[in-house]
Amino acid sequence: MKSSTGEKFIVPIGPQHPALKEPGHFEFTVDGEIVTGASIRLGFVHRGIEKACESRNYTQNLYMLERVCGICSHVHATAFVIGVEKLAGIQAPPRAEAIRLLTSELERIHSHLLWLGVAAHEGGFDTLFMYTWRDREVVMDLLESLSGSRVHYSVNLIGGVKFDVDEKLADSIRKGMDFLEERTHYYMKIVTTDDTFVGRTRGVGRMTKEHAERLGAVGPTARASGVERDIRYNAPYSGYDQYPITLITDHAGDLEARFVVRIKELYDCYRLIRDVLEKMPAGDLTVRAKRKIPEGEVVSRVEAPRGELFYYIKSNGTENPDRVKVRTPSLCNWATVSDLAVGHKLADMPMLLVGIDPCFSCNDRLVQVNQTKTNSRLWSWDDLRRYGIEYYR
Amino acid sequence: MNNNIHPLILLLLFPGGLFLLNAGLVYEWIDRKLVARFQNRIGPRWFQPLADTIKLLAKEEIIPAGVHKGLFITLPVVALTGALTAALYTPLFGFAPAFGFEGDLVVTLYLLSMMTLCMGLAGANTISRFSLIGATRALTQMFSYEAPFLLALLGPAMAAGTWEIGKINIFASENLWLILAQPIGFVVAVVGLMGKLELPPFDAPEAETEIVAGALTEYSGRGFALFRLGKNVELVVGLTLVTAFYLGGFSNPIMFLLKTAALFLVVAGLQSLFARLKIDQTVGLWWRVGALMALFQLLAIILGRYLGLLIQ
Repeated sequence: MKSSTGEKFIVPIGPQHPALKEPGHFEFTVDGEIVTGASIRLGFVHRGIEKACESRNYTQNLYMLERVCGICSHVHATAFVIGVEKLAGIQAPPRAEAIRLLTSELERIHSHLLWLGVAAHEGGFDTLFMYTWRDREVVMDLLESLSGSRVHYSVNLIGGVKFDVDEKLADSIRKGMDFLEERTHYYMKIVTTDDTFVGRTRGVGRMTKEHAERLGAVGPTARASGVERDIRYNAPYSGYDQYPITLITDHAGDLEARFVVRIKELYDCYRLIRDVLEKMPAGDLTVRAKRKIPEGEVVSRVEAPRGELFYYIKSNGTENPDRVKVRTPSLCNWATVSDLAVGHKLADMPMLLVGIDPCFSCNDRLVQVNQTKTNSRLWSWDDLRRYGIEYYR
Repeated sequence: MNNNIHPLILLLLFPGGLFLLNAGLVYEWIDRKLVARFQNRIGPRWFQPLADTIKLLAKEEIIPAGVHKGLFITLPVVALTGALTAALYTPLFGFAPAFGFEGDLVVTLYLLSMMTLCMGLAGANTISRFSLIGATRALTQMFSYEAPFLLALLGPAMAAGTWEIGKINIFASENLWLILAQPIGFVVAVVGLMGKLELPPFDAPEAETEIVAGALTEYSGRGFALFRLGKNVELVVGLTLVTAFYLGGFSNPIMFLLKTAALFLVVAGLQSLFARLKIDQTVGLWWRVGALMALFQLLAIILGRYLGLLIQ
């Protein structure tokens, strides 16, 4: 399909579009219904969190870094806290590590269920969307009774955790897991057998193992293509060596495989949580940590629900970090979307986009300054405003 | 039975005009509520469709740059008119049609197609990319379901040996329910109706996660309200036609409403059961399955009639 001027026909999605409730801009060049090109533009919600970290102390940063993401807030704090503990030369007590693990697995359940619903919605299957989000409330309630909050749990402290799990809570978590496991079996059945749904997912966005490795995919997206990449498995942290996970991969590499991998991961989460509750070690929740962290730099990696989360922390011996660098999993997976989009139908695009479980506010770390004029000058507010209007025209 | 009523009343109040518009709003509410309950949601309150309509009618209508103004304003009116006119020939709530002549079945079906045609034109009229794709999909979909749907409604007509909706209904009420005699035709008719109304899973032309609102993306205010009203009226007419043809023709209004409600339950259930079909899947489904099924039904009816004649 070409417009009258002979230009390419481009369908824009975002930053305001019903398909994506988060701000990202995608341009799909289409020929009829077939996509012939895709481009991605991010950076609508850059918040300058990395820079802000440098002017706050380590404890304050813990709360701030949780705000990087509204879905996987706990893993961000965990990645940061593990790095800082390594710099400080302290080790969180075993019980604290178990509770960190418990929270991050509960968070994974909530994140995967949320994704399942959103992905179903993108495929026009609103019934599954409503059902998964209803069941997700169970795990949200559990997280709330653990930490007192539904989104930003603030479980971590430098040197331990804040909240303990007593027998009563453990029982309600077990009950919740039983319920969710039953529901998850049902969703697995729908995702793999419902004809209309399989028609939207099977064979769509197929990515080989080599392709996934070349594009640097992480998390369930990579595992659905058979790449054995899971930090919890490759480099266990925070108790994952005590409570080993089952690495789940699939070799199909299409959208259906991404559904299957995530749902199978849910089963593993339930098993792991029961395991942790069973073998929860007794003992303290925290060890003392100094406010000033010794000079040094550290890399800390954890497995977020979307894949590998990477933190680089540099300390200069004061109360504030010198540099914090965050690289979120969504950023690694974008290349797979723009690469796989070509040749698919326009109707596949929303599901393909959502297939990597993108988290937009996580992405926007980087700001690129194009310096066309070499001399620096002062800009008044009006100048800036005019520039902004011109820029986006 | 309506012959002694003044034609103006027929047109303005019952069964045309005001009454039909309100029935459309009620039907829309039932549809939304049922789907919501199937999806484990609460659903809208009973006056929500009316409130939406009043709000939309009160809003400013924005005419985007690059459209043909006359077409942009006229198309919603024509679409609504088509649906309202079609209602005059249908046995609403089990009453005899207000007007009727030999061959009105074909006219009614074409009047019902006006809606899709108008939407396709409305989408193609604007320069919005979402609208253009929506229009292409709407028209593509129309070419796929229209033939099987037509064949499915011709089944009863052939069985009754007449092309007049009123006479077909008399035939349907005197004989065995046609759903039993022509089950395949019934299935094709119900699913075809869903395709016609662009209900899920046939909502590719207005798939919100891909192309916002499809052909109607650029419509706001009055035009959008009229299109919605037209669609509601079409829902009433379509459900009435299928109920009348396949579920026993004329009967008293309460029985007729109960039958419609049962059919509605099925339609709403189908809406919440499936994921959205891609447009190529829709076309494939209709031409590979729908059309064949309808043809098979037609063949069965023709054979049945010949056999019946032979036995006599």
